[in-house]
Amino acid sequence: MSTLPNKGEPITTTPSSPASKRRPILWVRNRWVLVGLVVAFAVLFPWLVDRPRFWIPNIGIRTLWLGTIAMSLVFLNKYVGLLSLAQVTFAGIAAYGVGYFSVTLGLPYLLSIPIGILIGTLAGFLVALIAVRTKAIYFLMITLAIGQVFFSYASQAIEVTGARRGLSPILREDYGFVDFRTLEVFYYAALLAVVLLYLLCHYLANTSFGFALQGIRDSPDRMAALGYRVNRYRVAAVTFAAFVASVGGMILVFDRSQVDPDVVSLGSTLDVLIAAVVGGVGSLGGVFLGAVVLALLDNFAQDFTERYQTLTGVIFIVVLLFAPAGLAGVGGQVTRAIRKRRDRAAPPPPEHQEPQAPVPAESAIQKGNQQ
Amino acid sequence: MKLRNSRVITAAAIGSVLLLSLAACRGSDTGSEGGGGGEAAGDDTITIGVLATDTGNLAFGMDAAKEAINAVLKAEGDTIGGKKLEFVYEGTDGTSSSAQTKVKKLVENDGVDIVLGPVSGDEGETVTQYALTVPDVTFVNGSASPVSQTLEGATNFFRFHGDSAMWMGGVGDYAYNEKGYKKIYGVAEDYSFPYDNAGGFFSEFCAAGGDLTGFSWVPVGTTDYATIISQIPRDVDAVYVGLGGADAASFLSQAVTNGLTKPLVGGSIAVDPTALGGDANIRDAAIGTITGGPVPGSGYDTPEWNQFLTEIPTPNIFSLLYYNSFKSLYLGLKATDGELGDGQETLRDALKSLDWDSPTGNITLDKNNQGIVDNFITEVQANDDGTLGTVTISEDKGVKQGTTVYDRFESCPS
Repeated sequence: MSTLPNKGEPITTTPSSPASKRRPILWVRNRWVLVGLVVAFAVLFPWLVDRPRFWIPNIGIRTLWLGTIAMSLVFLNKYVGLLSLAQVTFAGIAAYGVGYFSVTLGLPYLLSIPIGILIGTLAGFLVALIAVRTKAIYFLMITLAIGQVFFSYASQAIEVTGARRGLSPILREDYGFVDFRTLEVFYYAALLAVVLLYLLCHYLANTSFGFALQGIRDSPDRMAALGYRVNRYRVAAVTFAAFVASVGGMILVFDRSQVDPDVVSLGSTLDVLIAAVVGGVGSLGGVFLGAVVLALLDNFAQDFTERYQTLTGVIFIVVLLFAPAGLAGVGGQVTRAIRKRRDRAAPPPPEHQEPQAPVPAESAIQKGNQQ
Repeated sequence: MKLRNSRVITAAAIGSVLLLSLAACRGSDTGSEGGGGGEAAGDDTITIGVLATDTGNLAFGMDAAKEAINAVLKAEGDTIGGKKLEFVYEGTDGTSSSAQTKVKKLVENDGVDIVLGPVSGDEGETVTQYALTVPDVTFVNGSASPVSQTLEGATNFFRFHGDSAMWMGGVGDYAYNEKGYKKIYGVAEDYSFPYDNAGGFFSEFCAAGGDLTGFSWVPVGTTDYATIISQIPRDVDAVYVGLGGADAASFLSQAVTNGLTKPLVGGSIAVDPTALGGDANIRDAAIGTITGGPVPGSGYDTPEWNQFLTEIPTPNIFSLLYYNSFKSLYLGLKATDGELGDGQETLRDALKSLDWDSPTGNITLDKNNQGIVDNFITEVQANDDGTLGTVTISEDKGVKQGTTVYDRFESCPS
């Protein structure tokens, strides 16, 4: 653990201090076990609920598509430092793609689904070409504006989007070897897609591409000076996130059996943002926790109060105040609090200690930067 | 983390097989789509799920629905054939996604026997699609009015009021023959309700010999109508205004300030209290506006209507439509002495054969379970106290549903 020295003093560290000996907290060490347990719960979910025809679509499948779209937002925020409010729009464009090619043009779903994902991803690419030239609040605003432009278009372009009526029915089909009309099959297919996307996000974040993105997030000027074409990396990241959101859009459209402007409305954008913030904007998996909370609130908050949307807002504020890292960060907060308490209770270290060998300043600065 | 491609593919393959096997097992347990309600209801209760808006610009829908239901229960009692009527209320925000979530909760989680609702057109189309997947549950529409709802083939779906095209029944003939309008220009909001509403008016108006010279479809929430007013041709005899709420108030106000002197034909929600009470300056534009809809204006005097006014002194369109819908359901249940029958067929047969005098005239059903109802042509006039109100011009009896689902149009609809 490094400490900031006073001016003129040599930079020293105490590598053998108790803090440096600590192992990572339990759930960080066993992160993949935790992921496995969550996936196992998700797999057993249809067997654990008493009314599967309610719980699977209203909670299970809704959580999956809401979480997937929110995961695409978190990927961009966590690894590139960009907060995009257009993720719902990309999902909606993909959904409209399926609707247009299947309902309007009569193409089979096996063709219209990849076309829809392609269109959603392409939309992400085109938006990125414009949006990555901005940053911070301007990036957020431009993605929000693009989302609202598409909402207006979807509400009015009757020949393409069906205007307010939207496009329907977009029904799941029986392919003989697998019957997607069955809720459970659809749920498991969606779950499989989500797990693969989660792994893909993690994989990508740990490739040289992912490290470059994180470098760009931390210091775009330095990365540019090193020869990285920063905007190209950002365009690639936004395009990838649009792909993730588009798959979420596929699950959404077959869950709802229709697509209409509500799918790309400001309300839907806020739902995804709330799921991401409540779950934890720093955690790819945590967003699914946020999505579960939102799905449960949507369905059950009204049982407790008529002002159920106010309740959602209050919970959002409480999470922001007491768990700024989202529900996924609560475990870390609790651990830190326990350790702090233990450290206070522990006897002070002996006054006379053997002096530690000073660590070279360069090494300490490097550690500090890493931290 | 480092994943090798082969490991990912193997994991994905194993995962897929396991998931699909599980799905097959679970699917054989529960069956696919098409379950039913009634799980929560005991033998001595009938559970009715009420879907109405309690958020957004139609937030008063829930209060109107409760007022209507309570009025019927107060007059008739809450027990039929020894079975107590129980209610589960679910509020929506008027969007299709909200209605889809809440109607599934009512049926699949709360296990209601019957669904009453929803309020808005966007919700109505979604709920009808859902009704097709749960044939064991009976759906009675609340106030949603898209034409398509009763043309989807859902035999478990009933609507005891007119659709939005029927609400303009008789107005087209009246405008052409009585008012003498030959050419009309249209301005309306750009969504499904005004499509059907305007379609109902212009199909009749054009069939009578009238001409639609052009149409401006504007987004909901438009506040500036000066450009549109300037586009209205000088040689038209009247302007059709298919706007609602604050949009209608804005249009009427700007019609005055921009010197629009043409008489107006209002859509079914153009001259509601919001528009008429919004701005004193709209007086010149609003007076003389004719419109059609399920709610009569002043001067309508029947024993049933007067009785209704003692139960709900200040009705709005939602409380009236929910009243007629729930009263119809109540009378159906009463006819079967509270028996729903196998697959609720007993109740449905009773609903199909209903023939009763509602506050707004006789109600029967056609072969699509769509109401054959009376419709009212009203005109805006100044009340004695200086405020604006509507007066009933005529009652169009026994209006039947057409088969055309209207989309946006620029000239006479075919």
